[in-house]
Amino acid sequence: MSEPRPRRLAIATLAVVAIWGGLLPALLRSGPVARHVAAMEERGIDPAAMYYTELDRLPARPAWIERRLTLWP
Amino acid sequence: MSGPVRSAARSPSRRRPGGLHEDAAATLIGLAIVAMALAATWTAQPAEDAGSRAAHPKGWRSPLATTIERPQSWADSPLESMRDKKGRGVAAAVLMGMGWVVAVAAAGTALGGRSAVRELPGQLAIAALTCAAWVLSAQKVIHHYNLEYPLWALSVGLLVGNVLGVPRWLARSLSGEFLIKTGLVIFGAEVLFSRLLELGLPGVMTSWLVTPVVLVATYWAGVKLLRIPSRSLCMVISADLSVCGVSAAIATGAACRAKKEELSLAIGLSLFFTVIMMVAMPPAIRWLGLDPIVGAAWLGGTIDATGAVVAAGEALGKEAGEVAATVKMIQNSMIGVIAFAVAVYWAGWVERDAGGPRTSLVAEAWRRFPKFILGFLAASIVCSWIFSRSPEAALWVDGTITGFTSRLRGWLFCAGFVCMGLQTNFRELAPVLSRGRPLLLYVGGQLLNLALTLAMASLTFGWLFKKAVEP
Repeated sequence: MSEPRPRRLAIATLAVVAIWGGLLPALLRSGPVARHVAAMEERGIDPAAMYYTELDRLPARPAWIERRLTLWP
Repeated sequence: MSGPVRSAARSPSRRRPGGLHEDAAATLIGLAIVAMALAATWTAQPAEDAGSRAAHPKGWRSPLATTIERPQSWADSPLESMRDKKGRGVAAAVLMGMGWVVAVAAAGTALGGRSAVRELPGQLAIAALTCAAWVLSAQKVIHHYNLEYPLWALSVGLLVGNVLGVPRWLARSLSGEFLIKTGLVIFGAEVLFSRLLELGLPGVMTSWLVTPVVLVATYWAGVKLLRIPSRSLCMVISADLSVCGVSAAIATGAACRAKKEELSLAIGLSLFFTVIMMVAMPPAIRWLGLDPIVGAAWLGGTIDATGAVVAAGEALGKEAGEVAATVKMIQNSMIGVIAFAVAVYWAGWVERDAGGPRTSLVAEAWRRFPKFILGFLAASIVCSWIFSRSPEAALWVDGTITGFTSRLRGWLFCAGFVCMGLQTNFRELAPVLSRGRPLLLYVGGQLLNLALTLAMASLTFGWLFKKAVEP
């Protein structure tokens, strides 16, 4: 990196402002992205959860697990 | 094993004479925090329905929950991140979250025998950068496409470090490894062995048989077939694709002392492919005509990140979403066993110095063993034991985790990644890329994972236990 520090700082700041202040909000209003985000919010899903404890709802034990598991159909 | 011998002290110890070793300090602080959080939640035991999951879906309410929060998802302005979904302000709790990071870092500094006052300005700056990384990661597009906070924490650190440089007052406060180790000890409380049997035998077969096979096969392919020079890079990539993405990469990376550039690369690969798999797999399952439950088990066993698994699973239906999430949860619970096994293998075999003095394998392994892993296991075993005692105890543990320890662990990981980014030069990242071989390793390992998990999910959920899983 050969640019002077103030110039690098200005470029980095502009890039962050342009992406987070302009590009991403605009993407949020575009068809497929808007549909995906709306679907996630409607179902209360947090796709950014790294581990199950970060989910809004802890995974529920499916009803069938209460039944006796029998080998072979 | 003729791998490169690495010094146990890859990053120089910041311990002063009389101070505690970093691993001991992380273990002590982490366990003290878990104990304090459990005690705080106990004091808030509800008077009625204390054992009812319906009344307390996320466990008892921890009084510490109001002392820590992360910036919330936002659409147009970062200021929206200071309000939660119900419109309540979270700025004070976010500030207190920063305070927790500073408090943990300062405690580590003091236990290490250094001056907490001298390092305070740097720790405050790290906490502020951590908050900035949270805000960037909370933008809705990023949030809903699962580009998790470690990526943005690393990016913020890299950007600041490479654009502005790191002044000396900040450099002496960089304690990324300590913050991540403390976060991992606290994380132990979330790794509940009792969750392993939630899906019974089909879940255990899908998660427990395939995961170790994929882990070992991918690691072996990286070392022997692709000849990637760094064994720790092979291990971190193998763990992140076979177990559960970023959290597994962090735990095994600490267990095998992976370099920060290696961990960054593994996390980047995981996040990139998680987005693709989250979007592409549900339509592929429908196109293949797979049973939704089999498809859900396949998703749970292969997509790296938990949130992305739930998102993809729910696209196949509500019950499929539950099965996918539960298979992932069982896999999540394997982190403790895998991190411990990796630490033992690394200390006993990979780092064993063939030319060094002849000591017993056990003594040599113990000397090199990352001791904080014992703190992680202790937190996991104690919380698993409490969790299994009664419905009330399970809600006590769940409330402690969801209300406090999970949030603090997130802040500590995020701060740790900011420090790692600040310490990394862009130029250091190039050699790790190793002519695209890590990418090949990830893709090859993930293809094996997809094939084996589909076979096992079809065998267990689609055939052996088909009657039991039919609605």
